[in-house]
Amino acid sequence: MATVAVPQLSGYHRPAVLDWIMTVDHKRLGILYLYFTLFFFAVGGILALLVRTQLAVADNSFVGNDAYNQIFTMHASAMLFLFIIPVWAGFGNYLVPLQIGAADMAFPRINALSFWMLPPAGILMFAGFIVDGGAADGGWTAYSPLAQQTGVGMDMWIIAVIVLGMSSTIGAANFLVTMFRMRAPGMTMFRMPIFCWTMLVTALLQLLATPVLAAALVMLFIDRNYGGQFFDPNGGGNVVLWQNVFWFYSHPAVYIMILPGMGIISEILPVFSRKPLFGYKAFVFATIGIGGLGFSVWAHHMFTTGSVLLPFFGFMTFMIGVPTGVKIFNWLGTLWGGSISFPTPMLFAIGFVSMFLIGGINGTYSAAVPVDFALHDTYFVVAHIHYVLFGGSVFAVFGGLYYWFPKIWGRQLNERLGKLHFALMFVGFNVAFFPMHMLGLDGMPRRIAVYADSAGWEALNMLSTGGAFLIAVSMIPFLIAVVMAFMRPKDQPDDPWEANTLEWATTSPPPDYNFDSLPPVRSERPLFDARHGDEEQGH
Amino acid sequence: MLGMPLSRRLRLISATVAAALLALMATATASAIQPGGITDEARKMNDLFWIVTIAGLVVFVLVGAALVYAMIRYRRQGDELPPQFHGGGKIEVAMVGVPVLIVIALFTISMITLVDIDDPAEEDALTVEITGFQFSWQFSYSMADLGTNTDPNADPEDRINIIGTLQPIDTPDDEIRPVLYLPVDEEVEFILISNDVIHSFYVKDFLYKLDLIPGRVNSFAVTPRVTGDYSAQCAELCGTNHALMRFIVRVVERDEFDAWVAAEAARQLGDDALVSSPGTQGD
Ligand code: HEM
Ligand SMILES: [Cu+2]
Ligand SMILES: [Cu+2]
Repeated sequence: MATVAVPQLSGYHRPAVLDWIMTVDHKRLGILYLYFTLFFFAVGGILALLVRTQLAVADNSFVGNDAYNQIFTMHASAMLFLFIIPVWAGFGNYLVPLQIGAADMAFPRINALSFWMLPPAGILMFAGFIVDGGAADGGWTAYSPLAQQTGVGMDMWIIAVIVLGMSSTIGAANFLVTMFRMRAPGMTMFRMPIFCWTMLVTALLQLLATPVLAAALVMLFIDRNYGGQFFDPNGGGNVVLWQNVFWFYSHPAVYIMILPGMGIISEILPVFSRKPLFGYKAFVFATIGIGGLGFSVWAHHMFTTGSVLLPFFGFMTFMIGVPTGVKIFNWLGTLWGGSISFPTPMLFAIGFVSMFLIGGINGTYSAAVPVDFALHDTYFVVAHIHYVLFGGSVFAVFGGLYYWFPKIWGRQLNERLGKLHFALMFVGFNVAFFPMHMLGLDGMPRRIAVYADSAGWEALNMLSTGGAFLIAVSMIPFLIAVVMAFMRPKDQPDDPWEANTLEWATTSPPPDYNFDSLPPVRSERPLFDARHGDEEQGH
Repeated sequence: MLGMPLSRRLRLISATVAAALLALMATATASAIQPGGITDEARKMNDLFWIVTIAGLVVFVLVGAALVYAMIRYRRQGDELPPQFHGGGKIEVAMVGVPVLIVIALFTISMITLVDIDDPAEEDALTVEITGFQFSWQFSYSMADLGTNTDPNADPEDRINIIGTLQPIDTPDDEIRPVLYLPVDEEVEFILISNDVIHSFYVKDFLYKLDLIPGRVNSFAVTPRVTGDYSAQCAELCGTNHALMRFIVRVVERDEFDAWVAAEAARQLGDDALVSSPGTQGD
């Protein structure tokens, strides 16, 4: 009898790269999401520096008017669609299964599909720069009829955004099923970690809003390429219709971009105050409230079109201030009476609270309709966007990275470099964006490639550009800290921060299957309960 | 305060100093950003701006000071666990109640201002038709609709049109075209039209902008109160040279306005169009 050589399974190793490409493990996909999105944060940042260089002085011709429109459009598109929206999917992928004590997401293969839709979309969008007519240049809002006029780069942008939207829609379904069906024994909905709650509401918003954007984009594509007349008044279409449909998605999208960040800092603040989140349920209801109200305020971006029911949308917009105010109380109340220490994640979390506070206050100016008539489409709004999305979301991204770095990569980021990173970024951020309030009040419109010397805007613009470069410099200590961390062995214990939630109940990094055993879940802080048992007071 | 232990006194002092600093910073920036405005409507909007600003400053200083105070007062001093307070009860009612009161107050005040500035133009107000195009403006006046001094016999079809052309960004201010002439202290109604893409008619010193939308006619009215030249520009991205869509608003005394109308009419329409227009008797 002949013997057959059977391949030895244990001896076979897939190349590591293939391992990453084929993976359906939520942790690896989460890491891929993080790498991908941080790469586009850098790309978007470089485009921002080009914008700021062009605007640093009056009468500048560093980039031409055409190039400028492409650059700021792609800056926003990269930051929103390729960085901030998918970065939460990255944190969510890594953390949601761990935080609810599951072994993976509900649909691991679909999860891989959601991730792998991103790179082709990113490449397609940016390939616009090398085609005739250049990249999309109608702003990230792509208002029609202007969006009908530009070259094929616009079509590439439309397709890319549709694909990105599909990715986040199926990702959202996956998150929802995972959280509804796969929580550990004992973890009722109201014991779910607060970050999961914010991911849950975010996923609902994505599921309900993103298909609307896809529909609008398809109509725009048809208008551009096949003579459709959805948005063309000469054929019976309606120009403002685009804005209605676009903002019906894009206002909820603002919450898609910030809610998970609120979740992250609501994990960090309690840990380093050594107290539970103040008003957990109020926070959950406020999150749901923001999500719900978020669907009824879209036209506040359109007050100056003259075709908006002003009192209704003004009122609803002000109402969003209520759940937002509740959250500020949640965070203050968490700090109050605590025992607070200030490692880097905590600095970013407090940075978030203070900057988001400003972003909330300068937002009320636009809710007050008559004031918005003056400020709409000026640099005041650019200041507002960035206080929310940078001072808010990006600070939360870095807070989260410093906080979960030991869990994800098994090493600590250097504390001193972290603090330096925070200090530079905090100062740079305010120097870059605070002067924009004044520029806006002084009448500088957004999206202008040049301004005249006589406008008197140069000094503040120069200052703002300096701040932007300081932000860029702040990335140096961060990168050094990352490189230094990767040169060290994985030495982190399960729970280096004395944290509360289940991801800290397994090794750092966790094994493929996540948990050997789970502690009992009797509150929203199972690890705190395990550490302190009965001593807890004041429940 | 004197009876307190030193550390407690220090804390209170530093929180007070922080609050004072925040208040100072905030007021300094607020007064540096006075929006101003030259029309009746703008002055009302300016008042509303200040109400929102003061409310915002109060919130900012209170929350900011509380944040700084908490960070100093409650910093970690040992391993002892602080009381594990979860919240609830009256505090949570206040958490909702305070923001509700603030936003309802601000909303009500905004709506009062809105109604105030939004009333339609008087029948006999001067009307100017504004057309935005890539990349300049056309201002069109009907001879039969020139406000207080209109010749009752003028033909509404007789129009004077001021059409701008694309101008480089380094054009000196006094050469920027087109110029929009308006008589001071009189209500003017703007009719906004576009046939290509969306533009936005934005005059910083009106504290107002309104979009020009293809397929739609928008209008608004203001009463300028201060003579002078005001630079203005398009505020809605409209393509390559959006940044160059500048123009000048020139608010002048009525007789100067009439003289300008007469001169333009003579140039554009010929002599017969202005037989008895009062400002143009001499011609
Ligand atoms: C690196 C720091 C950043 C700088 C210096 C910067 C600078 C700017 C500037 C100057 C503009 C106005 C361009 C114009 O209107 O002509 C702008 C627009 C914008 N930025 Fe940023 N930005 C930064 C980061 C971010 C981040 C992190 C986000 C979002 C997560 C973001 C989102 C946006 C959006 C949505 C717009 C509006 C674009 C439009 O009008 O279509 N930016 N940015
Ligand atoms: Cu919105
Ligand atoms: Cu324009």
